[in-house]
Order: sequence, then structure tokens, then C-alpha cells
Amino acid sequence: MKYILLFVCCTVATLAQAQRFATRDARIAFLSETPVEDIRAESTEASAIMDLANGQVAFQVPILSFHFPKALMEEHFNENYMESERFPKATFRGTVNGLDAAQSGVQNVTAKGTLEMHGVAVEREVSGTMEQTASGWVLDARFDVPCADHDIDIPKVVTENIAEVIAVTLHAELKAK
Amino acid sequence: MRGLMLGALALLCCAFTHAVYAQDDLMDFFDEGGAPSTVTSAFKAGRIINVQSPETSGKGEMNFIIAHRFGRISDGWYALFGLDNAQMRMGLDYGVTDQLQVGVARSSFGKTLEANVKWRFVEQQKGGGSPVSLTGYSVLMRDGMRFPADGIVRKDVHRISYVHQLVVSRKCSPELSLALVPSLVHRNLVDNAEMANDVGTIGAGFRYKLNNRLSVNGEYHYLLPRPVEDDFVNSLSLGLDIETGGHVFQLHVTNSRGMFERAFLAETTSRWQDGDLYFGFNINRVFQVGDRR
Repeated sequence: MKYILLFVCCTVATLAQAQRFATRDARIAFLSETPVEDIRAESTEASAIMDLANGQVAFQVPILSFHFPKALMEEHFNENYMESERFPKATFRGTVNGLDAAQSGVQNVTAKGTLEMHGVAVEREVSGTMEQTASGWVLDARFDVPCADHDIDIPKVVTENIAEVIAVTLHAELKAK
Repeated sequence: MRGLMLGALALLCCAFTHAVYAQDDLMDFFDEGGAPSTVTSAFKAGRIINVQSPETSGKGEMNFIIAHRFGRISDGWYALFGLDNAQMRMGLDYGVTDQLQVGVARSSFGKTLEANVKWRFVEQQKGGGSPVSLTGYSVLMRDGMRFPADGIVRKDVHRISYVHQLVVSRKCSPELSLALVPSLVHRNLVDNAEMANDVGTIGAGFRYKLNNRLSVNGEYHYLLPRPVEDDFVNSLSLGLDIETGGHVFQLHVTNSRGMFERAFLAETTSRWQDGDLYFGFNINRVFQVGDRR
């Protein structure tokens, strides 16, 4: 009897494993929009993982993987604003709410959790969409990050060039792990 | 019954460990397969002060450098501490790739024209890979002064000199970067028969960041022994880098007045101990002229 139960228990564990979806090439882009100039940057090296069993999600992106149209912008981003050597990664970990795993098509969901970047963790609720595909899930989200929330200091001389609130978009295609 | 109890316990244990495991595991995923990353921005500008840093213009970037070395500070009020007369160098550097840069420049010092190429062929990596970056720099200089009317026949090729150097650099911390720079100077023509056409130097430089926009820089070049005694001395420079967005201002005090490699490495004549110092600046202005991708 106990062997059967052990077996069942292990099977459950394995099933839970199969409910994990992940990617290492999620796309995170952001836009700083001011009347003077629009600054865009993109990383295609973000990692994302989701556990359907408990609805947990986690995202991580290396700050150095964001690329800009100008090398100087990239240097300033890493050296002056994000201080990427001290804070090499931005992460989000939280829980997805409002997801019906059985349902097909695009679903509106929210994720509540902790967004950490530039060494400052902020509790956030982010809304986005999820869609089940043949191989996994596609996640899309769009949210704003106020620089001040993460102690990212923008000097007066460049306030005309850099927005106080940065619009971030995320696209992840998670595959069964 | 006993079996059932045991089984239930096993299930509980299993479920519990699994739950714990799941939480840790989610973040563990990020630690797996972490590739080494390139260390960037060891120095702010293409030069530490006079000598090359490992930095090059990014792909498609045109860097305009305007540099001055004023007269002797020890000239005092009469020459406004040297500000009354300046040597100037104007240069353009262009990034062919993020690692390869070509440049031209003109110095008023010796009316010297130069063409140079710089290639960072090994990048410093974090988490494996090379602990240092290696950058090669070669410059061809053409002296533009009129030949003296002393009856000696000189050809145009005699105007040419070369410097080849290797910049071995390491960003030790976000604040501190070090560079070791061995150089070889070759002159097609020297002033007299005893002087060697080739002279070597070993240089060292540093950058220490005081904050995100300000750093202290320094460099020293030791002249390797020459076959005959000459008046040339080692070059020592100390300065500040100030970054203001699109510009990097470098302000410094140095005993070398020439701003191209042959002059400051091999032909420095003023001594710190005599107070023969020059105040100077480099201003670096970056323009993105080409496509980066």
C-alpha cells in the first residue's frame, strides 16, 4: 500500500514538473518618450519561468543585454543610470491571477509581485495577456516604471531628453520545461 | 492502517519538499547556463590622458577630440600661467565596429599629421573568459615642419615616425581600472647619428571613479634605456574626467606638451621636479553618424 502511495506521490511531483514553462529569449523593450527625443532599447536575452501548479512566475533580464541605437546611450544607461555593474539584473517574481489553464485563446491576467531593479524592490501589480499555444504559453505585458521608484537619478540637464516614466513591454514565449 | 499512515506521511513529506523545491527552483532557473559577460566602460574616453585607453568609438560613432596643452604654468601671471599660448590637437575617431576604430588628427606641435588604428581584440569577461582586455594601437605620424636650410638633403620619408603599442587593461571594480601600456617608437630620422631610431617605453595608467560623472586619472611612462644620454625624461600626467552627457571633459596637468604618441612617450623634456608643467584639456564629443546594427 505504501509503495502505491509513494508511486502516486512521485507521479504527482513529476506532473507538477511538466507544468513548468520557461524561456531564455524573452523580449523586453522600453521607451522613454519626451518632446525632444524618443529613446528605445531592447533585450532579447530575458529569462522567464512559470509554474502552472501554483501560478508563480519569475522574470530576469541582464541590464547589459539592453541594446540602444547609439553606443553612447548604452554606455550612459549602464554607467550612469542603471549602474549595471553593481546591479547587473532586473527581476520580477510574483503570482499570476485570473488564469484558467483549461481555456484557450487570449486571456487577460494580472501578476502581483516584486519588481526589483537598480537594487530597489517595489511591489507591483502588472496586467497582461496569456495565450496557450501548442508548445506552451505566450505572455505579453505592458507596464510603466517611474525612474524615481527605483532611485534612478536623472540630472536636471537631461530631464528634457529622458522621461520620468519609462514604458516597458514584454513578450515571452514559454515552452514546457 | 499502518501502511496507510506511512503512505500519508510520505505523501505529506513529498508534497512539502516539492513546494519548497518549487519556490527555490523557479529562481534557480536563472542561474543555470549563465554565459560570461563582457566588461564595458573601463575608461570614459579613448585616452586615459595622453595615452590610449582600451575604449574605442562604438560602431558608427564619430568622436571629435579637441585637445590643448597650454604653456608652462611656472610662467606665472605674465603668460597667465601658460594660458597665453597653447598647443592644439584636433582629431576624429570613427568606429568601424564596436572594437575597431580608425582615426586622423592634426597637431600644431611639429605641425604633425597622424593616421591611427585601434583594435580591442580581446574583451575582459566576467564569469569566465579573459581577465583583461587587450587593445592594439598603431599610429603613423608625419612631421610637417619645413626642413632647415642646413645643406643636408632630407626626403619626405624622413618626416615619418611610428608608434605601436599594446594596452593591457583590467576594470578591477566599478571604480578602479588599470592599464599597462608597453610601446615601441620608431623614427625614420633622428636628430643625430648617436640617437637610436627605436625607443621603447613601459607605461601604466589608472582611472578611479569618484562618482558616476567624475573620475581621477593618471599615467606614467618609463623610457627604457637608450644607447646615448639624452635630455628626454619620463612622462607623468594627472587629471580629472568630467562627463556631462554628450561630452567628456578631461582636465589635466602634465610634463608632456605634445599630444601624439612619439612626442609624449619619447620626446618629453620638461620635468615635474623643475615645476615645468602644462595645464591642458581634452574635449571628447560623440556623434552617431552611421548605423549601429
